[in-house]
Amino acid sequence: MEFSLLQAKENEKLVVVSIMGGRMATKRLADMGLVPGTKIKVLRKAPFGPIEIEVKGTKLALGRGLATKVFVKYEE
Amino acid sequence: MKNKVKKLNVVLAGQANVGKSVIFNYLTGLHQHIGNWPGKTVEKAEGTLWYKGYRIDLLDLPGIYSLSTYSIEELISREHIAFQKPDFIINVVDATHLERNLIFTLQLLEMERPMVLALNMINLLKEKGLEINFKKLEEILGIPVVPVVAIQGKGLTKVLDKGIELVEKKIKPKPLKYGKELEERIEILSSDLNKLDLPYPKRWVALKLLEKDKEIEELVKNKKPEVLEKARELSLELEKIHGEDSSIVVAHERCSLVSQIVNETVKITKPKKLSFNERLDNLTSHKIWGYPIMFAILALMFVSVFKFGNLLSSLLENLTLNWQKIWQAFFGTSIWSSLGWTIIESILALINLALPYIIPFYLFLFFLEDWGYLARVAFLTDNLMHKIGIHGKGFIPLFLGFGCNVPACLSCRIMETERERFLTAFLVTFVPCSATSVVIMGLVGQFLGIGWALLLYLLTFLIILVLGKLASKILPGEPVELLMEMPDYKTPNLKTIILQTWFRLKEFIFIAGPLVIISGLIITALYQTGFIFKIAQFLSPITVKWLGLPAIVGNLLIFGILRKELILLMLATLLGTTNFSQVLNPNQMIVLSLVSMLYIPCIATIAALKKEFGWKKSLGITIFKIAFAIIVGGIASKLLNL
Repeated sequence: MEFSLLQAKENEKLVVVSIMGGRMATKRLADMGLVPGTKIKVLRKAPFGPIEIEVKGTKLALGRGLATKVFVKYEE
Repeated sequence: MKNKVKKLNVVLAGQANVGKSVIFNYLTGLHQHIGNWPGKTVEKAEGTLWYKGYRIDLLDLPGIYSLSTYSIEELISREHIAFQKPDFIINVVDATHLERNLIFTLQLLEMERPMVLALNMINLLKEKGLEINFKKLEEILGIPVVPVVAIQGKGLTKVLDKGIELVEKKIKPKPLKYGKELEERIEILSSDLNKLDLPYPKRWVALKLLEKDKEIEELVKNKKPEVLEKARELSLELEKIHGEDSSIVVAHERCSLVSQIVNETVKITKPKKLSFNERLDNLTSHKIWGYPIMFAILALMFVSVFKFGNLLSSLLENLTLNWQKIWQAFFGTSIWSSLGWTIIESILALINLALPYIIPFYLFLFFLEDWGYLARVAFLTDNLMHKIGIHGKGFIPLFLGFGCNVPACLSCRIMETERERFLTAFLVTFVPCSATSVVIMGLVGQFLGIGWALLLYLLTFLIILVLGKLASKILPGEPVELLMEMPDYKTPNLKTIILQTWFRLKEFIFIAGPLVIISGLIITALYQTGFIFKIAQFLSPITVKWLGLPAIVGNLLIFGILRKELILLMLATLLGTTNFSQVLNPNQMIVLSLVSMLYIPCIATIAALKKEFGWKKSLGITIFKIAFAIIVGGIASKLLNL
């Protein structure tokens, strides 16, 4: 089952399944190392604000709009 | 024969927060020049050093994450590397975040210039439980890898030595190979491009065509359109094989190649323990505690800067109190003498703004930035900033605006696109700066009570909210979402903070100085010839009829263009008293304060806007603000007098 990153909870370990954005958004995320198949961990969510994740040992803050475009599933 | 100095052009390239500017400052010290890239709101930092018989011109490229055309910085960087062909590139990499950093390194390698990898922050590897096999990394990448601790200057000479060796031996790196399906297509395209005269390496152009890079497509289309056709065909094939857009296929390939390299070179030696800095991060980004902490830090910054500033500023004022009288004793009170005095007065005013307020403000700001806190502020305020049409990073310029609009406008460079920069700067000009606060507090705060003053501030925030919403709707282009690396907290580097402050201060003086002096001269001349009263007369339909203010206000508003606090100072001068309630009734005080807040950016701010966005846009903002202030002031006046 895949769901939007925005719905993920803190401390969940996830795998990126797909990115449903325009090419610009997708490219920006890829430059930060976020491509389908990447393992991520949700670090924290600001109240109604951005979501912070860990990708390849780096912490990234994603705005809500961007987070809705990233689809993830639970790591098996 | 004369021994000629050999010159080398070198660029520093790397992602944000890798210690690039620390290295730049270490190598060039005060021999640097910070300006803008021609016609762009992007900072260009250049410096010079002499090393082993070479004169090295070092350019610090902006901190970027890729070489696509997503931001102006990326475009500038790749064009610089392609057209200026630096003798070698120093790629600065954060050793503790090797995987993310190498994604960019691979792209730099594809530019096929001699390159040295400066592996920074190796002193932190142990603490993070990481171990890197430098030799292996060197073998795989095919370029010299030099371990560096930038804040201590360790390894930096070796970086230069290796770079010079590459130049002397004429060694260029080879780009790394991707998966078979991609490589085959790169090869086909590269050979099609073979006879074309292109500024970029062929392989790189081929790759960019498969990534559907607009600029490169345009470039090739003009020279040999059939190649573009071929590229589209090959991209489609890739998309069929991988089931995703070809640009993502390339990004994907790059990420997996990097993962592979990291697997072979990095060993995780011990399980991660929560360090002090990580605990600090958890606390300062906390969904509840983060906010009071942020409020406390920012309030501390503000209060201490202003307390200190007011103290120093009144000290300076006392010091120069008699200077005008001394000047007049020597030169009399002719027009020429007052013009001469105006120049001195303008310079004193600049010093009186720079020393007490701007320097402490910058020191504080760069401390917070170097420490890593500013990113947390952006994270915590992202939601709030979305309400006014920008994202979290925009909080910083707006916050700076309370001190002085000039550095605030300049700091809009931290936004990603031209659109966000302009929008943020536009909103910054509505933030009441310290000089505007003097007017509000001295008029409304003093005579009507603090409650009314706060109400005026509240009204300004409301105006910023509404204008932000409207402007972000009207301005063409998509709003950019926040995507930001959260750097680890680290010990702030004093030298970096002081150098940053020094160069910013210099910039402020160069931008504001000339215009402040010139406009000061013009206004003094108008005043001395009595012309200013004619202008005030001319303005009276607006000031008297529409705004309901005394005619004298026309003069004040003209002086206020120089510096907002002059509105109050000139009022006192012209009246010969500071008891303003004699000439202004409460309603007029409110309207005058409101108009002072809104009506025009001061001349120094206009200069800053001009530098960043050109005359057209800065005049656009100015005219809009004047019209807006007249409309809002008039409505307020009518409402108050009901």
